[in-house]
Amino acid sequence: MSIIENIKIALSSIFVHKMRSILTMLGIIIGISSVIFIVALGQGGTEQLKSLIVGPGNTVSLTYMPSEEEIQKNPTMLWTPFTEDDIRAVESIPEVAKVVTSSESFGTVRFRENHQEAYIAGVNQAYIEVNELHVASGRNLLASDFLGARRTAVINAKVQEELFEDVNPLGEIIYIDAQPFEIVGILEKPEGLLSSFDTMTVYIPWETLRAVTGENRISYITIQAENTEDLQIAGEKAAHLLNQIHGTEDAYQVLNMEQIAEGISQITGIMTMIIGSIAGISLLVGGIGVMNIMLVSVTERTREIGIRMALGATRGQILFQFLTESVTLTLIGGMIGIIFGSFAAMIVSAFIGFTLTISLPVILIGLGFSMVIGIIFGILPANKASNLDPIESLRYE
Amino acid sequence: MIQLESITKTYQVGTEKVDVLKNIDLTIEDGEFVAIMGPSGSGKSTLMNIIGFLDRPTKGKYFLDGKEIVDMQDHELARIRNQTIGFVFQQFHLLPRLTALKNVELPMIYAGVKKQERMIRAREALEKVGLSERMDYLPNKLSGGQKQRVAIARAIVNEPQVILADEPTGALDSKTSKQIMELFTMLNKEEGTTIVVVTHEQGVAAYADRIIYVRDGTIIQDDTNPEPGGDIK
Ligand SMILES: Nc1ncnc2c1ncn2[C@@H]1O[C@H](COP(=O)(O)OP(=O)(O)OP(=O)(O)O)[C@@H](O)[C@H]1O
Ligand SMILES: [Mg+2]
Repeated sequence: MSIIENIKIALSSIFVHKMRSILTMLGIIIGISSVIFIVALGQGGTEQLKSLIVGPGNTVSLTYMPSEEEIQKNPTMLWTPFTEDDIRAVESIPEVAKVVTSSESFGTVRFRENHQEAYIAGVNQAYIEVNELHVASGRNLLASDFLGARRTAVINAKVQEELFEDVNPLGEIIYIDAQPFEIVGILEKPEGLLSSFDTMTVYIPWETLRAVTGENRISYITIQAENTEDLQIAGEKAAHLLNQIHGTEDAYQVLNMEQIAEGISQITGIMTMIIGSIAGISLLVGGIGVMNIMLVSVTERTREIGIRMALGATRGQILFQFLTESVTLTLIGGMIGIIFGSFAAMIVSAFIGFTLTISLPVILIGLGFSMVIGIIFGILPANKASNLDPIESLRYE
Repeated sequence: MIQLESITKTYQVGTEKVDVLKNIDLTIEDGEFVAIMGPSGSGKSTLMNIIGFLDRPTKGKYFLDGKEIVDMQDHELARIRNQTIGFVFQQFHLLPRLTALKNVELPMIYAGVKKQERMIRAREALEKVGLSERMDYLPNKLSGGQKQRVAIARAIVNEPQVILADEPTGALDSKTSKQIMELFTMLNKEEGTTIVVVTHEQGVAAYADRIIYVRDGTIIQDDTNPEPGGDIK
């Protein structure tokens, strides 16, 4: 007896009791859709979170984490960990391609009578390139802005919203702590979840910031390597060099983004496990429902089983018939669950801006799960069916 | 050829052991048409079920074409049943959700016959029992006589050596009973199929060329019928 014959029998008996079958599948549908949802969102979300926090990649950041002694010896260092000379020194390391610097502080930004507190980022040109800041209108900060320490600024969309209302900001003058700057560009608005992290930021050339405000603190530096393989070496060399220059023990360190990324994966992993166990419970409950309904089905069809045996069906064939039926039931439930789960993941991902990964493996996991459940919870009823006594079954009313 | 040697069937009812069949010796040659008669509860159905491998005897030996089958495993018996035995029951025992044609296909599915051949052979079998116009009917749209003819078509479709019919006319009126018994006679005479019919009706038994009487689990009489022929009133 072929599998196709068995599937036909299974489908016909599932369709005869439509309502019952759907109710039975419900647990499987819920379970499988949560599995799909978690896996899809877990994968997409983890990747997104990583790139959000770790940044564009192939970069390492340096931090200044002095010991107590060093702080006491040189307290001002806490505020000015990196100097211009430091940057030039780091730039001269052969493995280093670019050194991204940024000096960030809050300041009051005023346009006409509107003023707001905003993040003022005095950046170098490498910052713009490595962080891939793209302007939606106007132009980006150029080499001439940096070299000439020009009073030009690029604002993000949030600043435009908060300060400019209907006025086109391009070419307008804003005042940062009473110093005038011309707006030359507006950055693209980030999408999805990132937009909620968007704070008002004004980017100005680091050279201008220093010239205008006398500010000489560089908050942090990030290194991009010539080759990605050299990244760690470049970072360690830079840290070593800075410790040498400043005569510190181990105050300058490479901030290991890999570790941070791993931490994020762990957190999302734990979340996946929690939701996964919820999925597991509903699959268990669903599976028990399938077993229950299959037992009912076996009892209802006792006579059919007797007839099939009288016509020459072996016990193995009867077992396989009912096993096929329970697997068909859970597989249909699983397919519906995959569709529901994908839809839910799509809706949620569109909402929070995560890219969603409904991949073939995800679908196969869903189908695999439902099949295994069909087998596990179908084996008992199928075994019961195959062990029926043909004569008593034929007499069954 | 079917040979039963001191077949005993014992049921345990509570603490008591009941011998439903007691040392039955019976030989049925190929091509015989046998009727089994006897009072209710005498063990006729039990005997039929043992002959058809649906049931196993408690004691005794069973040879099919000289081959001992008692020690065979369930799946081997299922295979022999599928290939050599055709069952016909009083209650027809058609699968209610399958059409006449699909019901007739069933034994061939278990025999592993290909779909195309199944269709051809199922049609032929239904034609043989005179039901070619009702192939796509569900059992509940068929009369009792028609249902029994579908059941007979199903019983003969694998070209079995033996047809075992347990009160095949028990639920039918005399006119349809006659048709069914004529069908068995035809199968017996034209195809040479061995036929064993259990019945309470003398007129039905009269179709057979051998009539066996059973009482309290033993064969009390084994007659040849010199003039087989229908006598249903
Ligand atoms: N599973 C069982 N357990 C105990 N006793 C049984 C069982 N099956 C049948 N019997 C008994 O065996 C005896 C013979 O039953 P069987 O069905 O063979 O009789 P029968 O001759 O076919 O009767 P009928 O003409 O009413 O069909 C009966 O007394 C019945 O009660
Ligand atoms: Mg009986």
